[in-house]
Amino acid sequence: MTTATAVNPEASSGITIGYSVGSVAEWLRRITVCIRGPRGTRGSGVIWRDGLIVTNAHVAVGKTHAIDFYDGTKARGQLLARDSETDLAAISVDVSGLPAAPIRSARELRAGEIVIAVGNPWDGEGAVSAGILHRAAGKQPVIFADIRLAPGNSGGPLADAHGNVVGINSAIFRGLGCAVTSDAVVKFLTEAGVLEAA
Amino acid sequence: MRGFLVDFSNELANAVERAGASVISVPEGGREGVSGTIWREGVAITAEHTIRGLDEVTVVLPSGETAKAVVAGRDHGTDIAVLKVPGAGPGAKLADETQARVGEIVLSVGRRKEEGLAATYGLISAIGGPWRTGQGARIDRWLRLDLNPFPGFSGGPVINAGGEVIGMATSGPRRTAATIPTSTVNRVVDQLLERGRIARGYFGVGIQPVVFPEGTARGLGMEGERGLLVVMVEPGGSAANAGVLLGDIVVRVDGAELAGMQSLQAVLDAEKIGQSVSVDLVRGGELLKLNVVVGERPEK
Repeated sequence: MTTATAVNPEASSGITIGYSVGSVAEWLRRITVCIRGPRGTRGSGVIWRDGLIVTNAHVAVGKTHAIDFYDGTKARGQLLARDSETDLAAISVDVSGLPAAPIRSARELRAGEIVIAVGNPWDGEGAVSAGILHRAAGKQPVIFADIRLAPGNSGGPLADAHGNVVGINSAIFRGLGCAVTSDAVVKFLTEAGVLEAA
Repeated sequence: MRGFLVDFSNELANAVERAGASVISVPEGGREGVSGTIWREGVAITAEHTIRGLDEVTVVLPSGETAKAVVAGRDHGTDIAVLKVPGAGPGAKLADETQARVGEIVLSVGRRKEEGLAATYGLISAIGGPWRTGQGARIDRWLRLDLNPFPGFSGGPVINAGGEVIGMATSGPRRTAATIPTSTVNRVVDQLLERGRIARGYFGVGIQPVVFPEGTARGLGMEGERGLLVVMVEPGGSAANAGVLLGDIVVRVDGAELAGMQSLQAVLDAEKIGQSVSVDLVRGGELLKLNVVVGERPEK
């Protein structure tokens, strides 16, 4: 699965912003999981490919985690790799047939492009927020967006208007949403040997 | 996949890019750098409060090159400073801000020395009539924005979804973004290029609002109950020359009753400079009429 076409078949002119954001959000919810930590913490994660979930290091604080999928399926996730410097972690789940996130390089994004986040803040599972890219990606492995994020968004996807994942939401910095770039995720997974293994 | 949201997203990014061709960075401005807008060929503006005390600043142009810019004029009242930057790039495409509508999408665009173009988006949440800043400057229109101001946005443009500039962004009260509308910027830029500063009328007094006890105001034939107590008289100033004394309470200027500090500034617009205006004041419980010649506010 590479695009969001399947869930947004009718997107065309004359359709409202609300409908369009709604259909991308609906797609993003399917690739977003809720991760429950050992101390009752709640964060989000992205199904990077079948059996592999990417989240923030500060969300994946234990060896195993309770994972809730969009369709209600529950599973235990095993920590595969964790890097607190980039704030990334990889978790494996013994579940197959999962929809995987289509990935776009964050370096391609232009300032002003629409970005959409889905996550699990305390007051809403699968909560969606929308904004724009604040500035184009620089040398750092993070991108900034003018978007309202909450702590439970951590580890969840930041996507473009197509529904392609461009980053993993990780922090709120001076009112701006901060996400680890998709490029940094690929680097992390490759260096951890997870991509080959999966 | 094409679709409404993708088109919309591209339009916003295009608007930022178009406007960005006229957005410069002023790294010396403020605590960590501010932005500026190339307003006309060779002329840029930035937020005056961020470059106070500087006669020349280094700017980063849209091309990425750095250049020296001379501060050609500054107006504390509207927070506009004019910079001369030859060869900076094309002047911004200006919108007629009287056509702006509540609910319209707007973007605040800035440039940072290292990271380049930056933007946040929001809406025009309310539009009001003319207003005066704390320094007494007249702003033609109140444009209230629902928009997240970001570090260094001051001096950059507020644009509509078409990439046209509706005003200059600066900081408002309580960490909000205030907008100096395009028409006001045009007026101020013209005057600053001509004279280097904005002329404002001046009495040479320090004042403080006071309220008369009930009955006193009516006894003096006033409709309201407010006056302005003179707490400082500048030696040799217009008011001093006309015989205004410390402790006088100004109640009317040019026949109009004063409601507060700003109503005095409102009757001291530049066109009054050199003219004689009638001032009614209360001294020792008695109403007194004086004629004061409006002076020009000295440069700070």
